[in-house]
Amino acid sequence: MTKKVGIVAGSISRFDNPRHTLQEEMCAEAVRMILDDVPELELGDFVKKGYACCYSYFSDILEQQQCMHWIINDYLGLSAVPCFRVESGGATPIDAIINAALWIRSGMFPAVLVVGWEKMDELPIQKVNEAIAIAGDTDWDFVSGFTYNAFYATMEARRMHVYGETEEDLAEVAVLCHNNSLENPYAQWPAQHGFSKIMVEDVYKSRLISWPYRLHECAMTSEGASALFLANEELTKKLTDNPIWITGVGFGSDTMRAGDRPDNPAWKGLYPEDEKIWPKHVPPPMSPYPDLCNFGALRVSARMAYKDAGVKNPRKEINLVEIFDPYAGVVLAGLEDFDFCKRGEGKKLLRDGVIQPFGELPCQLSGALTAQGHAVGSTSIAQVVDVYWQLSNQIGKKWGAPSRQLSNIKKGFIHGHGGTGCQAGAVVLEV
Amino acid sequence: MKQPGPEKVIKEQKIDEKWWKDWERRGGWRPEGWKIIEINDGPTLNDLKPEKFLIVHRPHGNLFHHSYGKVSKFFTGLLEGKLYGTKCPKCGLVYCPPRAHCFNPKCRLAETQWVELPKKGEVHAHTVMAIAWPSMAHLQPLVGAMIRIDGTNTCLPMTMRDVDPEKVNIGLRVNIHIEKQPKGDLLDVYATPAEEPKPPKRTPEELKRFREDMEKTRAWVKKTFGAK
Repeated sequence: MTKKVGIVAGSISRFDNPRHTLQEEMCAEAVRMILDDVPELELGDFVKKGYACCYSYFSDILEQQQCMHWIINDYLGLSAVPCFRVESGGATPIDAIINAALWIRSGMFPAVLVVGWEKMDELPIQKVNEAIAIAGDTDWDFVSGFTYNAFYATMEARRMHVYGETEEDLAEVAVLCHNNSLENPYAQWPAQHGFSKIMVEDVYKSRLISWPYRLHECAMTSEGASALFLANEELTKKLTDNPIWITGVGFGSDTMRAGDRPDNPAWKGLYPEDEKIWPKHVPPPMSPYPDLCNFGALRVSARMAYKDAGVKNPRKEINLVEIFDPYAGVVLAGLEDFDFCKRGEGKKLLRDGVIQPFGELPCQLSGALTAQGHAVGSTSIAQVVDVYWQLSNQIGKKWGAPSRQLSNIKKGFIHGHGGTGCQAGAVVLEV
Repeated sequence: MKQPGPEKVIKEQKIDEKWWKDWERRGGWRPEGWKIIEINDGPTLNDLKPEKFLIVHRPHGNLFHHSYGKVSKFFTGLLEGKLYGTKCPKCGLVYCPPRAHCFNPKCRLAETQWVELPKKGEVHAHTVMAIAWPSMAHLQPLVGAMIRIDGTNTCLPMTMRDVDPEKVNIGLRVNIHIEKQPKGDLLDVYATPAEEPKPPKRTPEELKRFREDMEKTRAWVKKTFGAK
């Protein structure tokens, strides 16, 4: 048994807010696309063939339903099939993919259908924010008067203070993501705002949410669904002649409360090379990495995924990246935590154009959370699907935008996380 | 063996039962209204067609009876105007938010001890909320700061008062206050500057934009809630 897990097919039912279409209907749209791509796949054969389903959604409150996956499973005609739900806040969908891949690797299941979705329009926006914020500590974080935006904003303020990131850097990240989404027919930004490019000034014109973050630098709450059909090596080769492989998975965690990170003995000494990178003008905390500047969980998950995939030099080997960016600054932090540059230098990769669509390391080609959208349980599955389409040369077909297809690409990296980086996951995809 | 109960009520601040009963009765999933709408939908933007949807307005609410567990003393402390944290007897880490058990892996979940904390600290990180929770919207623009209380190894998030949002920066020394009529939750705690604040470096454009943002936020508050 090899540890290779193949992507046989992937699909997205577009992100928008509102979609009005029910969760199970959006999931059915996504799974139908998989069935269209893999004519040999029969939903009625899952039990006989020992396949399983892994369902990904975040919030029982937003869904107004507990065990929503039972409805989905039933609606797809998969009753009797072994099924699981995975939930870990924003990390839910990446976690679902990782779990599914590990089940296949365990030899227990030859194939797993991963389906993710979210419904986010049914409460007023402040209540949606509340439903998200109670993924923070409801005794100590949420009730302090901070919104979730505010927690991420304090972390970015720390990055600006320690590393010298600027408001312009954040706006440039937003411009990159929004303009990347314009030809993405699954993206929420063009669905709502049209197909024109934006500039830094447009980001500045969007309203302040929580300094330094403005509206266009924050994820869009979305509705949508997405699916992946994963299988072991043998079955993958049988079902598709254009497979992409999940060769590495990794996950990590950090404190529930961001405020507990500066002097955390669990991090002290874990990444000594990062602890040394600290400016003279700021008194160093006891555990300078990650402090509130970086996301330690991202680092742990990325290094685990690289090791798993045999990636020695991510900056040279990885060709495209999708970062889970609920806020623009996370793109810059992520580049550092994923070892694409040293800590504090994420802004340099941005300013040098490295992460632009046809730069050395294209990032956020889908538009990611601020422009493709953030239907939580679907988010990272959709980002993996976008990278899968790139690696399997299907952007022309799936997006109807052949000019957006990259050439000569071999490896992609996708990351997801939940909370203020409380849990993170990462996968490496390879041709 | 012994039974743990019955529980003794030492002190109680009762809720208004009538207010809640009324709310709970109405928050019971029954549609209070509906609308029928038409909009284009489909799995991709290349594949849209008109659809009609029925939308019901369906309320739902809850009242939780929540225990603060073994860190309840922090909140009873607030009711007495005092700030408490916990200290690990093994490694000496001081927690606020308090933990009943030390999270230093070396201490093997040692039980911590209560210590009274000074009402002084420092800004570790900060933001200015132009959108706060609805119950605090009238306070926008609202400064939120991660405060390291002196002698602690953690940050407690709290809001700041009596400070120009433009001038808050990392490193600012603060005094910590507890509301005169505390309710026993974190919102009872807030910070004010303990020194003349030194604003963060901003370019002239950033400063201009920041001031415009603050003006817009204040104008919205004035329009929505009237003059202060």
